[in-house]
Amino acid sequence: MTSARTDASADARIIEPPTTLLPQPCQLVIFGGPGDLSWRKLLPAVYNLDVDGVLPSHFTVVAFGVPAEGESGGDPDEYIRERARSGIARFSRQPLDEAHWESFARGLFFVQGSFNDMRAYEQLKARLDSLDHQFGIPGSRVFYLAVPPSLVGQCVEHLQAAGMIRDPADTTAFTRVIVEKPIGRDLISAREVNREVGAAFAESQTYRIDHYLGKETVQNLLVLRFANSIFEPLWNAKCIDHVQITVAEEEGLAQYDPATGEIIATRAGYYEGIGALRDMVQNHMLQVLCVMAMEPPWSLAPEVVRDAKVGVLNCLRPFSAADVDRNVVRGQYIEGDMYGQRVPGYRKEVRQSFEAMGRELPRASVHSTTETFMALKLFIDNWRWAGVPFYLRTGKRLPKRVSEVAIQFKDVPQILFNTNPEMQLEPTVLSVRVQPEEGLSMRIASKLPGPKIRIYPVKMEFNYASSFGGSSPEAYERLILDVMAGDATLFMRRDQVEAAWQFVTPILDRWEQNAVRDLPEYQCGTWGPVEANRLIEPDGRFWRNL
Amino acid sequence: MTGSAAFAPSGSVSIPLREVEAELARQMQPLRGTGERPVQFARMSNLVIFCDQREQAERISTEVPSVVSIHPARVLLLLGEAGPDEAPVTAAALVRPRQNGHTVDSCSEMIVLHAAGATVATLPFAVRALLVGDLPINVWWASNQPPAFAGALLFDLAESAQQIVYDSRGWLEPTRAVAATAHWYERFAKTLPGGRWRVASDLNWRRLKFWRRLLAQTLDPTIAGDASATATELVLEHGPHAVVQAWELASWLTRRLGWKVRAGGVEPGVEIRWMFDAPHGPVVVRIKRLSEGASEVREVRVRYRVDAQVASLVFRPVDTTRLEATTEGIETAPLTISVQPQSLAELVGRQLSDRERDPVFTESIATAQVLAQSLTA
Repeated sequence: MTSARTDASADARIIEPPTTLLPQPCQLVIFGGPGDLSWRKLLPAVYNLDVDGVLPSHFTVVAFGVPAEGESGGDPDEYIRERARSGIARFSRQPLDEAHWESFARGLFFVQGSFNDMRAYEQLKARLDSLDHQFGIPGSRVFYLAVPPSLVGQCVEHLQAAGMIRDPADTTAFTRVIVEKPIGRDLISAREVNREVGAAFAESQTYRIDHYLGKETVQNLLVLRFANSIFEPLWNAKCIDHVQITVAEEEGLAQYDPATGEIIATRAGYYEGIGALRDMVQNHMLQVLCVMAMEPPWSLAPEVVRDAKVGVLNCLRPFSAADVDRNVVRGQYIEGDMYGQRVPGYRKEVRQSFEAMGRELPRASVHSTTETFMALKLFIDNWRWAGVPFYLRTGKRLPKRVSEVAIQFKDVPQILFNTNPEMQLEPTVLSVRVQPEEGLSMRIASKLPGPKIRIYPVKMEFNYASSFGGSSPEAYERLILDVMAGDATLFMRRDQVEAAWQFVTPILDRWEQNAVRDLPEYQCGTWGPVEANRLIEPDGRFWRNL
Repeated sequence: MTGSAAFAPSGSVSIPLREVEAELARQMQPLRGTGERPVQFARMSNLVIFCDQREQAERISTEVPSVVSIHPARVLLLLGEAGPDEAPVTAAALVRPRQNGHTVDSCSEMIVLHAAGATVATLPFAVRALLVGDLPINVWWASNQPPAFAGALLFDLAESAQQIVYDSRGWLEPTRAVAATAHWYERFAKTLPGGRWRVASDLNWRRLKFWRRLLAQTLDPTIAGDASATATELVLEHGPHAVVQAWELASWLTRRLGWKVRAGGVEPGVEIRWMFDAPHGPVVVRIKRLSEGASEVREVRVRYRVDAQVASLVFRPVDTTRLEATTEGIETAPLTISVQPQSLAELVGRQLSDRERDPVFTESIATAQVLAQSLTA
């Protein structure tokens, strides 16, 4: 059993050399194994790792939890195998291959039990010990907590009480824990989650996951910046006019049966009351911002890279209440049109979702003011980025699913080819696409063929799929593998999470203080409320066409 | 809801709207081949074409390959049929290889969207999801309805566009349309918030390019002496549906010559006539309709006085590749200029790359509006 370590900064100072990325024999225990995240993402990710032959030779997956539909009547292992199979068939990057499936399924198990039931942990421990013997595993565990934030404390407490957490100094085997976002719902609760996890696990054993950081293009941002000689000299306030980070989703809260129009799945239970700031900005977007804006780390050692990222968060200009009013816009979608279909507005979707879940609609949700869109302008007050605005926007029910970081360079002087102030040349833009087609493009000005000098913007594109062929590994694949290898580079450190909350909490406070009955509205299938334009256009800039 | 049959031009594959990108990728796949040179979509811009008649959409779909051979673009061809019959938005997609000698090194793509009745208003939603980011957006308003009267649909389609291309040939109610266009243009083409800009371009103005060149060169005092300073009458003849073209040319010329309109009148289907005050005295300007023939300006005649005699400078096409200026009443050699091909695809393709705001066009449509107001006064 480990001694509790609550001082993250002590761990943070330990500088380890880069790992060789060799995943070590272990058992991956997925808390919430029958749940949605596991079904859609985690089990297909592990399957893909198996198909690619990168899993450790001695390895099992053990799902832990209670099926949504209650206790599974038959063989629990068969239950989870069936569920995994359906998830893999539907969501896996690589098609379900029977031969691979057979061998993969042999290492897939299920322990049924409630997270607050100590006996279930004892059963889990016994089963894991037994599987250690069966599969020749030295006792190493990765606990993946795919559970709501409110249950994290309970889970780690029981794991500790059941004696399932090894000391980090133990050289014979390891215990690591993966904590899913969101970590808390504000700074106070995030600190509480971190305290609870830290009471059981050392920081070096804790992997706070943000799957955006596992995406190839986000990792490629580092390569782009630090493995090419042309970009880094331009990567500063001298050359960059502004940066836009967009995470646009097509989906609303619910998924509908195309035949009946009935709700077949909904995220309302999670999203209502959470909103875009907590769901997207505090984690994904700020993490991407860190990678984009960080100073060059002096090595690729995890702690060095993470120090550089935290450095960005520490330089974010704090929002006053007046700043929030001026630089933050939120909105909520109303009925509109997506792909030729009429889709309901947010409030109606919340109502219908709670009906479909058989749950009573909370009073606060009757006139929900949960933001489904938000845009903000922020500044990084350091030498490199002084005065450069960063515009972030994210939302649901936007016209298309697209995530990108766009770096807009400063205009050329108004001489030679840019002399008409009414029709200035389009600026040079470097755009890093995170999804759906990972890659990057650069918009530059070019002369049109012909006798006259006419300038036209052209787009140079690099696409991962067409350049490298095949499909890139899913973010979860890379991240799970990193945990098995003990590489924390792409995971959020405790101070990083808290610094991100520190930045967004004044926004939450201001919203709470300045309660409104209705948020600015935008129709489904549009790029957000008009108020978002008012955030950027007075600066002489505008949101990009995506 | 009654069905208006979905529109899918020959060769295109009908698919659910959500699967357009996947279908384009699927059709692209076999064209990639095994060669070392990558085959890519050639794209300079997004080109959104709006038609409100099926026959018009069919005709334009056959022009698209020629348009994109001049200006490669992702083409979104929209057919929005008005009327009581409502039809949901349907989609079709077509990828065409672009032959470069014996090899294919790029492809063009066309996405066809069809809606009828009330759902036409939802076409801009479908368009937003299909635009390629970071490329300019051109809207070709192919409807015969003047853009000034198009209302919210065009406003929504052009919300992020840098250019709208329209064609005043064939406009119904030309006087009302010309009167409204300058005001619409001023609102549309002004610089938008955030420093964005956009332009509107009339294909008819582009058709007049060689006419304007020849008129400007010929009426230059160093060539024609005092012809413009002693003009008494300007007569423009045009074929059916070309009244606006002739009107634009008359507006341009009278503005350049500094003539001010005093009054005007219309003889429906025959002639529009204005009385102008020029620095040297009154001038009559007439736009005469010919009952048949090409929908073009067919002749321009400037009647003027020289040494107490009446002479005429006459401008007319010699054939499809040349315009000629001759003088009647005085012995001079004719002037001829070559005219580039002016097919619809050529006009549109060239216009799409030509995004410079043309101050002469702006002035001319402002003058055209004044002329229109003189008719309704």
